[in-house]
Amino acid sequence: MIAVQAALTGALIGGLYALMAAGLSVTWGVLRVINLAHFGLILAGAYLTYELVTGWGLDPILTVVVTAPVLFGVGACLQWAYERMNMVEFNSLLVSFGLLMVTIQLATNTWTADFRRLAATENPYATSSLELGRLILPTTTLLAFVIAAVFIGGGHLLLRHTFLGRGMRAFAQDRTVAAAFGIDHRRLGLLVGGAAGASAAVAGMIFTLTNSLTPAVAYEWFGIVFAVVILGGVGNLLGTLVAGVGVGLLSGLVSVIWSPSTEPFVLFLAIILALLWRPHGLFHRRGVA
Amino acid sequence: MTIRKGLSYLAAVTALLAVLAHFHSSVGIAPYSIVLTTTVLFWIAQATSWNLLSGYAGYFSFGQGAYVGVGAYSMAVLTGRHDVGFLWSIPIGGLLGGVLALAVGAVAFRLGSLRGEIFALLTLAVPFLLATFARINMDIDGGQGTVIALPAYPQWVGDAQHMLFYLSLAVAALAVAVALAVHGSRYGHGLAAVHDAEDAAEVLGVPTFRYKMVAIVLGGVLGGMGGAVFAMQIGFVAVESVFGLTIPLFVIVISVLGGRRHWLGPVIGAVLVVVLQDRLSAGGLESLENIVMGALLVGLVIVAPDGLYGRLRARPWLALGAFAVVLIGMSLTGYWAELDALLYAMFAAAIVATLADRFLAQPTPKSPDATFSPTRVAADRSGRTPQPAARAAGAADAGATEVAQLPLLHAAEALPGLAEAAPQAGEARAAEAVVGLGEAAPQAGEARAAEAVVGLGEAAARGRALVSCVGVTRDFGGVRALDGVSLQVFPAEIVGLVGPNGSGKTTLVNLLCGALQPTRGTVAIGGRPIGGLAPHRVAHTGVARTYQIPRPFESMTVRDNVAMAVMFGRTGASLSQARSKAQQHLATVHLGHLADVRPGSLNLHQRQLLEMARAIAAEPVVLLLDEALAGLNPAEIDDAVAVIRRIHATGISIVVVEHLLRVLNQLSTRIVVLDRGAVIADGDPAQVLSDPAVVRAYLGRQRA
Repeated sequence: MIAVQAALTGALIGGLYALMAAGLSVTWGVLRVINLAHFGLILAGAYLTYELVTGWGLDPILTVVVTAPVLFGVGACLQWAYERMNMVEFNSLLVSFGLLMVTIQLATNTWTADFRRLAATENPYATSSLELGRLILPTTTLLAFVIAAVFIGGGHLLLRHTFLGRGMRAFAQDRTVAAAFGIDHRRLGLLVGGAAGASAAVAGMIFTLTNSLTPAVAYEWFGIVFAVVILGGVGNLLGTLVAGVGVGLLSGLVSVIWSPSTEPFVLFLAIILALLWRPHGLFHRRGVA
Repeated sequence: MTIRKGLSYLAAVTALLAVLAHFHSSVGIAPYSIVLTTTVLFWIAQATSWNLLSGYAGYFSFGQGAYVGVGAYSMAVLTGRHDVGFLWSIPIGGLLGGVLALAVGAVAFRLGSLRGEIFALLTLAVPFLLATFARINMDIDGGQGTVIALPAYPQWVGDAQHMLFYLSLAVAALAVAVALAVHGSRYGHGLAAVHDAEDAAEVLGVPTFRYKMVAIVLGGVLGGMGGAVFAMQIGFVAVESVFGLTIPLFVIVISVLGGRRHWLGPVIGAVLVVVLQDRLSAGGLESLENIVMGALLVGLVIVAPDGLYGRLRARPWLALGAFAVVLIGMSLTGYWAELDALLYAMFAAAIVATLADRFLAQPTPKSPDATFSPTRVAADRSGRTPQPAARAAGAADAGATEVAQLPLLHAAEALPGLAEAAPQAGEARAAEAVVGLGEAAPQAGEARAAEAVVGLGEAAARGRALVSCVGVTRDFGGVRALDGVSLQVFPAEIVGLVGPNGSGKTTLVNLLCGALQPTRGTVAIGGRPIGGLAPHRVAHTGVARTYQIPRPFESMTVRDNVAMAVMFGRTGASLSQARSKAQQHLATVHLGHLADVRPGSLNLHQRQLLEMARAIAAEPVVLLLDEALAGLNPAEIDDAVAVIRRIHATGISIVVVEHLLRVLNQLSTRIVVLDRGAVIADGDPAQVLSDPAVVRAYLGRQRA
């Protein structure tokens, strides 16, 4: 029973990983920008949420109304700069690594390295939970999963069924040809970068809802989020969601069966095995190389 | 600079530093300088060892902290708990760092689809994993970190700071010596080729996997040794201080700042970054340190991605001037501390060198092997007039020796112009032109002879098959690209391989050169099956190929591109031998006059000729030309066909993948037609091209 509980909680938390990974995966897949600064955006979203809740007394979930547009703007600006400087793949990895260091240090200088957590009075979701027989699902975790699933599902439908989404996929496959068919890659890029920023705002909010906050936590996201991106397949949103849930489930199980500290081993083993056997993600349909 | 000379300079500098440190009080050096220099030396060792794989071979690693950590923990645990002397702990730390690197490399480089970004992300994970490991196993550092007691050392050393200085100096000198030796050697050239075009390097005979493994292990050993000394320096080892992201950040900033393709780059970068960091903390701005470093990294990648080394080398005097002016000016005011003055002077030099190009006339770019820079202008000039040489080729090919005199006159006429521009270069070029023509004429004769032999008695001339595929099938997932293909290539043949798009031509070429393994069936070269052989081994059995989209080594001159193939080809040769041989091969394809330019300034036709020169430089028995004529205009096609004939005349069998049936009809001795992965015709060109099945495959059912 403990294992089932752990697996279920893990799977729900996996939704958060998936949401964190979604922005990274789409900018990597569509724009070929590996944006490590995305972790900085999530961190910024988390701290903004914290500020808005403790300072202004806003409902944590409502803060998204403020943070999402702000980070949409930041994400779009960032993408504009990458595009302007012609930063793709490797260079973008380096530049965004620098930006991430700057962001984390700025966060440390502003909010100190202390752990911060929303008090129970400020977080109306913290104390309630849903009970299904002997399984207990904390409301925060449940909310986190639902929001993440809605956001990613929406993104997936957009990509799959709208003209815009088709344009993006065309762009991801062959930029030159897509451009020749009238796809304005700059505007598209701004939109994707902005959407990634907004998703970071939501992910940050959810993280603040469920966890303690410290600037260095951004590093801890690295491993698990990249695991989700790679396992889900770069640029594949639905794959990201499934991979997120799977990774969360696995971590949950591992931490009750062995110990929580063995989680990273299992995760990285999973990434390496996945890279060996399914280099394009678990859900890639194989074709001619 | 030769390796020997470089090493002796390095030894002199190292000895000088050691002597200065020993007599520091007599020569008036502040003790703090020794502390600071020790830090500089640590970062020199780290950045230099990181640079072996990440700079030379271009595989960026975020995992340097892992090696430092392994070294540091080795020192802590061995000296603290097992009473191992610190002098022994340093090499053991290096050994363990090397073992870790071996493990990382063995996993990472085995991943077939490994691209640079994935490697970077994987290495990012390694320090995190080790940190977890150290946290779980409390007996490593008690979960809190562990103190390292200062060991006993001989009296003559001086104080503890001196001992740390000498140890750091030794490790840094070792790291720089290794980097220097690698940079100038055949191995270093191989790594540079991996950096520029790994696939092409592999099929030319560079054992890329082994080379990358050696680089990562060297980096791990040096990183581990540096880490062991670092542990003594900081006196307290904890998970956060070694496995965090500070070490990779600094190492990357240092190397990107200094320059990654030369051994001096990380040294320059380390001096600049450490002094900057020191001044920041002296000014009470530690909290800004990571911000400054991060911003520096961003700025560098945008403004000067190649680093300072190249810029300083292009304008040494200007940079030195700026350095001296600022240093002296600031020292004279007496208001600034020495280190401030030093920092600002270095920054002035760096900025002047970086921005000079924007405001002053373009300087002559210098190559690492400075032999050609003065002639570059002349080379570029003659680059615009390749026609005389090309004409000469055509004429010589047309038949007779007497015609060769005409282009000779042409060349002679062209000479005065060149001679004016750069007398020496002009002479060199004249000599080349003569050599090239002299060779071209007899070869043309041979070509006829060889063809005659094939024409006269094919059965007699066909000995053992050079290439033989039997029942080769290749699947990609559910798609069958080749289906039971059997094909043989005999000595002195030019086999034309044709077929509609998607019929499996390029897949077949990839199978023949070992880049792909067949799903079923066997491929043998010269009677020897190549199943399971790495492409560089297949290359050594005598197969060379060109790529449809040329993949030259962009950082090397045209000559060195070809010299690479000679060095790593079947025969193998030293760099200087290879360079002179390369010149001959370039003459064969008529690129001799462009030997000193970078591939970036060649046009498509010239790039394809370079591909061919590189391929024949490996001295193959079979040459695979993958659409070597694609995208050329008619005159260029004629020229390329002449080159192919000349290559054939030297005794190399050729497989040409091509769409231009007109050309193949003239050129090839036999045509093989592929359609949907199967051979549908194989035989005499005229016969094959009139075969109804072939016409149907190409033009559709109705026309047939």
